[in-house]
Amino acid sequence: MTLIETPTTTSETLATVEEPARRRRLPKRRVLVYLFTVFFLVTLNFFLPRTLTGDPIAVLAGSTSTGKGASVELSPAAKTKLMAYYGLDKPLITQYGHYLRGLAHGDLGTSIKYNVPVTRLLKNKVKWSAVLVLTAVGLATVLGTLAGIHSGWRRGKGVDRGLLGVFIAVGNFPAYVLAMFALVVFVLKLHWFPAGGAQTPYAHYALLRNWVDIAWHVILPAAVMSLNFLFLQYLVMRGAMVAELGSDYLVLGRVKGLSQRSLKYRYAARNALLPVATVVALNLGLAMGTSLFVERVFKYPGVAGLMFDSISNRDYPTMQGCFLLISVMVVTVNFIADFIYPRLDPRVSS
Amino acid sequence: MSVDSPARTDVVDDAPPARRRRRPGPRARLLEALGPERRAALRAPLVVAGGIIFAVFVIVGVLAPLLAPYDPKAISGNSFAHPSWSHLLGTNGAGQDLFSQLIWGTRFSLTVAVVSATAATLVGVVIGMGGALIGGWADSAANGLVNVSLAQPPLIAAVLILALAGPSITVLIIVITLAGWAPVARIVRAEALSLRERGFVHAARGFGGGPFYLLRRHLAPAVGPLIVAGWVDWAAVAVLLESGLAFLGLGDPTRVSWGTMLDGAFRLNVITLDKVWVWWVLPAGLAITVVVVGFTLLGVGLEPVFNPRTDRGRDA
Amino acid sequence: MSPLLEVTDLAVYFGGEVEALRGLTFSLERGETLAVVGESGSGKSTMASCLVGLLQPPEVSGSVRLDGHELVGASAETLRSLRWSTVALAMQGAPFNPVTTVGTQICEPMREHRSVSAADASRRAAELAVEVELDPGLLERFPHELSGGERRRATLAMALALDPDLLVLDEPTSGLDPFTRAEVVGRIKAASANRGLAMVVISHDLPDASHLTSRTMVLYAGQAIELGPSARVMGTPAHPYSWALVNAFPVMTTTKDLRPIRGLPPDPRAVPSGCAFHPRCTQSESVCAEKVPVLEESRGRLVSCHFGGLKTLLSAENVSKTFRAHGSEVRAVAGVSFTLNEGESVGLIGPSGSGKSTLSKMLTGQLAPDSGRVMLEGAPLPTSWRKSDKAVHRRIQLVMQDPFDALSPRLSVEALVREPLDLFGDDGRADRAAKVMETIESVGLPTSRAFVTSHTHELSGGQLQRVALARALIVGPKLLVADEPTSMLDASEQARLLVVMRERQVEMGLGLVLVSHDMAVVRKVTDRIVVLDRGEVVEEGPSQRVSTAPESTTARRLIEAAPSMSLTESSRHESPEPEKLIHKRGS
Repeated sequence: MTLIETPTTTSETLATVEEPARRRRLPKRRVLVYLFTVFFLVTLNFFLPRTLTGDPIAVLAGSTSTGKGASVELSPAAKTKLMAYYGLDKPLITQYGHYLRGLAHGDLGTSIKYNVPVTRLLKNKVKWSAVLVLTAVGLATVLGTLAGIHSGWRRGKGVDRGLLGVFIAVGNFPAYVLAMFALVVFVLKLHWFPAGGAQTPYAHYALLRNWVDIAWHVILPAAVMSLNFLFLQYLVMRGAMVAELGSDYLVLGRVKGLSQRSLKYRYAARNALLPVATVVALNLGLAMGTSLFVERVFKYPGVAGLMFDSISNRDYPTMQGCFLLISVMVVTVNFIADFIYPRLDPRVSS
Repeated sequence: MSVDSPARTDVVDDAPPARRRRRPGPRARLLEALGPERRAALRAPLVVAGGIIFAVFVIVGVLAPLLAPYDPKAISGNSFAHPSWSHLLGTNGAGQDLFSQLIWGTRFSLTVAVVSATAATLVGVVIGMGGALIGGWADSAANGLVNVSLAQPPLIAAVLILALAGPSITVLIIVITLAGWAPVARIVRAEALSLRERGFVHAARGFGGGPFYLLRRHLAPAVGPLIVAGWVDWAAVAVLLESGLAFLGLGDPTRVSWGTMLDGAFRLNVITLDKVWVWWVLPAGLAITVVVVGFTLLGVGLEPVFNPRTDRGRDA
Repeated sequence: MSPLLEVTDLAVYFGGEVEALRGLTFSLERGETLAVVGESGSGKSTMASCLVGLLQPPEVSGSVRLDGHELVGASAETLRSLRWSTVALAMQGAPFNPVTTVGTQICEPMREHRSVSAADASRRAAELAVEVELDPGLLERFPHELSGGERRRATLAMALALDPDLLVLDEPTSGLDPFTRAEVVGRIKAASANRGLAMVVISHDLPDASHLTSRTMVLYAGQAIELGPSARVMGTPAHPYSWALVNAFPVMTTTKDLRPIRGLPPDPRAVPSGCAFHPRCTQSESVCAEKVPVLEESRGRLVSCHFGGLKTLLSAENVSKTFRAHGSEVRAVAGVSFTLNEGESVGLIGPSGSGKSTLSKMLTGQLAPDSGRVMLEGAPLPTSWRKSDKAVHRRIQLVMQDPFDALSPRLSVEALVREPLDLFGDDGRADRAAKVMETIESVGLPTSRAFVTSHTHELSGGQLQRVALARALIVGPKLLVADEPTSMLDASEQARLLVVMRERQVEMGLGLVLVSHDMAVVRKVTDRIVVLDRGEVVEEGPSQRVSTAPESTTARRLIEAAPSMSLTESSRHESPEPEKLIHKRGS
C-alpha cells in the first residue's frame, strides 16, 4: 500500500519554448494503452467463464457442479436446448463476435435472479455507487491532504508523530472490520445513523430534505471507506511535503520574508500536491473494490453491493456485468488522471 | 625486512577497514552496501516493532497445532457459548471453538500472504528484470503487461475469478499473486533500466564483466532492497485481500481463516447480538489489523533504507 | 552613523563538530561592495545564510547587525521585516518556485511586505525586468522555461523588488557561458551603481568578483585571511593562500601552466591548529601551528599571517661584481636589486653576457658580490663554506647548465643522489637509502636496480639533468636556482624536465630562480620575469606582461628570438603572441 511511486518533482527539466503547445495534445501512447486495457477487460470477461469452469452453461444458466447454492440439475436434453439458446454450440469465435455485438448495444445478458437485463439493474445502482465512492474519496482527499501538509511541515515534531501514529493504527483496519465496528457502535448502540440503504424507504421528501436524507445515509459508509484512503493520501502528502522541505526555492521564499502561510501552502504544499493527484485516482480505483465490503455491511444499494449479491446467488451474468462496469470505470478514471496530471505540473511535458 | 616490525602493522592499519576484515558474508555485505544511515534505519523503532509483530504471528502460525485446544472445524461445545476456561473466546453458532479458529486462522492467513507475496515478487522480478535486460520486444511486452495489469483494481478481478473457478487455497494464491506482481515488476524494471545506462555499469562491461557479473555485482545490490520492500508491501495487501475475499464468502470453504470467521459472524448477524461480537468479531478483526500494521511498520520504517532520497530534506 | 552591515566574531558550528565559520569580523558601509572569495568549503555560502538570518543559534554565535538590527537570535517577525526590504539574497543557481510564473514571484514580496495591489505590483515587476534587460514578456513564463542567463536576471529583478539596502549575491555567474556571464555581470554592476546598492558578492570566479566590487575578502577555513581593496588583493596578494588562489585561477592572460594549490582544503571537522593554512603553506614555522594569527594591517590591507603575508625568501640589494683578468675589467653585474617571495618562481632572462650567470652564482652564495648584499630569509647569505654555514647552504640548491660537468662519471646514480645527504651527515643509513629512492622516483626516473646502478655515460642528457635535480631536491632546499637547465636538451626532454621541476616546486613549496635566455621556456614556468642586459635590470614584471607586451628592447629581442610555431618560415619574426589578440579580462 506504500508501494506508490512518488514522481520526483525536483528534477531540473529545462523545457523548450514550444513545450506548452505539445503538452495539450493527448499522448498517443496513453490512449493506446487505455484502449488496449479496456479491450483486454472485455475479452477477459468473455473468456473467464468459458475457461475457468468446465461447464459454461452451468455458469450462464445459474447452475454449477461445484457450487452449493440453489441450482437445478439439468437433463441432457434441456442442456442441449440451453446451449443452442445461448449460442454455446457455435464456434468460439462466433460466440465472441456475438458477445461483442451485444456489448456494443449495451447488452450484458439477463440476470438469472431477477430475470431482467443486467444493464437495467446496473443503471439503478450506478448513481448510488457514485455518491458513495465520491463522498469517501472526497473526504479522504481533503482530510488526508490537510493532515499530510501539516504533518510534513512540522516533521519530527509532536504533531507529526501523533498524526503518523494515529493514521498508521486507524488506516490499517480493514474496511470490513471497521464497517462492522462502526455498525455496532454508531448504529446499534448510539443510533446516530440509519442501519442501511441509501434513502429512507417509502419517504417522499422535498428536494432539500431528500438531499439531507441521502447525506445522512451515506456519511457512515463513506467515512468508514475513507479511513483507508485517508492513510494513503496522508502518507504520500506527508512524504512529498518532507521532500520539498530542503529545496532551494523554499529557502528563497523564507529569505524573501514571505509569511509561514505562503511558504507552507503556496510554496511547499503546492509543489508537494503533484504526486498526490495520482493518489486520488488510485484511491478512486481502490474505492470501487472497498465498496464491495462496505455496501455489503451497510446494505448500500450500489454496483458493488449488487456484485456481492450476485456472488451469493450465483447470478453469473450480473456478476460479470458488475465486473465489467467497475473495471472499465477504474481504468477510465486512471486514464483521465494520467491526462490531467501533466497540466498540474508546468514542468512535466509528456 | 623483519617479519614482526611494528611498521608493518601500521601499514595495515592505514588500509581501508573493508580490506582488513575477513571476507564478509552476504548479509554483512548487504548491510555494508546500505551505508551508515540506512543501517541505522534498520534499527529504527518502527522496523523493530514491525519485525516483532511479524515474528510473533509466525510463531503462533507454526505452533498452531500445539496452541489450539480444539480442532477448529470440530463441534466442541454448545453454540454461542460465552468465553470460559474451556473456550477462551467462546464458540460460534455451530459450537466450534473460536480461539482455536483464531490460532488456525493465523496459520492459514500467513501462509497465503507469504506464499502469494513471494510468488508475486518472483513473477514481478522475472518479468521486470527480464524485460529490462533483454530489451526490445520483450521489454515492450513486459511493459504493456504491467500497464494493463496496473490499470485495474486488484479486488474486482480476484472476486470474479474466485467466484467462477470456485474457492480453494490454490486459486486464492494465484488470484492474489496475479493482483500483486505488476507494481514490483514496474519498480524493478525502472531501476534496471536506469542502471543499465549508468556509467559504472558501462565501465564494468568495458572491463569485461559478463551479464552474470553485472547481475551479481551491480544489479542485485540495487534491486535487492526494492524486492524486499515490494515483498513487505504486498504481504500486507495479501493479508487484507485474503481476509476480504473470505469475508465476501469466497474463502476456501475447507479451511478456517480470519476472513471466514468474520463472514460467518456477519451471516449470522451476530453483531446485533449483544456482546457476542466482542469475542467473535473483535479478535479476528484485530488480528488482521495487527498483522497489517506490522507489515506497514516494516514498510514505512524501511522506506529510508530503500529510498534514502525521500529523507533528504533536513529542516529548511 | 553605524555601518549598514556589521559582522562581529561570527562563528557557525554544525552538529557541534563541523566548523563552517570561525570568528568572522567585518563591516560594510552603505553603497559599499565586497567580494568574498575562497575555495569550496571555505564558508562562503554559510556566511551568506547568516547575513539573511537563515542560520540561528545554537548553530550560530557572534553578531550580525544589519541597519542597527541584530540578526543572530532575532525573532521571526524582525527577520521577516528585514528580509528582502533591507537585505535581499540572490541564491546560488537562481532557484524559483517551479509551479508559479516568474512574474508572480517577483511580485510576491511587494504584495506581502508592502500590500501593493496586484496591478501595481506587476507594473513594477515589468519595470524591474526592463532595468535588468529581461524581456517583460518572459514574466508570464514558468521558471523552467527560462534560460540560465534569463533566470539570473529574473533573480536580480526579484532581489531589487523592494529596493533593498544590501544585496547578497551567491555565485551570481556560476554555470553560465562567458557571454551570458559578462552580460549578467554588467547588469549587476549597473543596478548597484544606479541605486547605490551595497553588495556582498560570493564567488569563486575571481575576475567577476573583482569586477563587481571595490573590496575583497579572502576566506579560508571559515576565517578571513585577507581583506582589502579588490585591485590590491587580486593584483598583489599578500597572504600565501590568496597568492596561491590567484595563481590557481585560469585567466586568458596567464601564460604559464596552472598552478594548483598544494595539499587539500581543510576538513571542517578537524581544522588545523594555529593558522589553519599552515599545513599547506610554504613558509610556515612552528609559530604558525601554535598561535592563531590575527587580521592585521599589512601592505595596505588586512592580512592574517604571523609574517604579515608572503615572506621575502631571497633578496639582492644593489649587488655588483666586476671581474679583472689580464688588466681589463668586465663589469658583469652592476647594481642589481632583486627579490623573490615565498614559493614564487622568477625567471632571470637576458642575452649571453648579460651577467645572469654571475648573478645566479651570487644568489647561491658561490660568489661574493663586490658591493651590496644578498639576504636569504632576512639574514645575509654567507659566501664562505664554514661548517656553521652548512645549514644555510643547504637551503639553496643549484641545478647547473651542463649535467655532464656537474655529475661525477665515476659514481652510480644512487651514489650521486645520496652524496649530498652523506655530506650533510643526515642520520640513518636505511633512511637515506629510502629517501634516495623516493627522490629519484619523484623526478620521474625509474628506481630499478639496473637504473640506479648505472653511470652517467649510460644516461641521456635529460635523465642526467633530472638526476641533478634529484641531487638538489634531496636535501630539502627552500630555494632552487636553475641555470639554463634545458639548454643541452632536446624539446621532449626539455618539456619533461620543466614539468617535473614545476611540479616539485609546487609540491615542496620552493622558490625558483630560472636563469635562461629562452623566453618561451621561462614564461611557461615563472610567475615573474626579470630581464638583464649588460649587468643591469632593464625590465621586470609579471611573466604574462613581459612576454606579451615587453617594454625594453632587450625583452623584445628575446621574444623575437624565441621559437614560435608558425606556418611560414618568413613570418617567424613578426608573429604576434596569441595572447595579445585576445581580449583581456581579469587582473
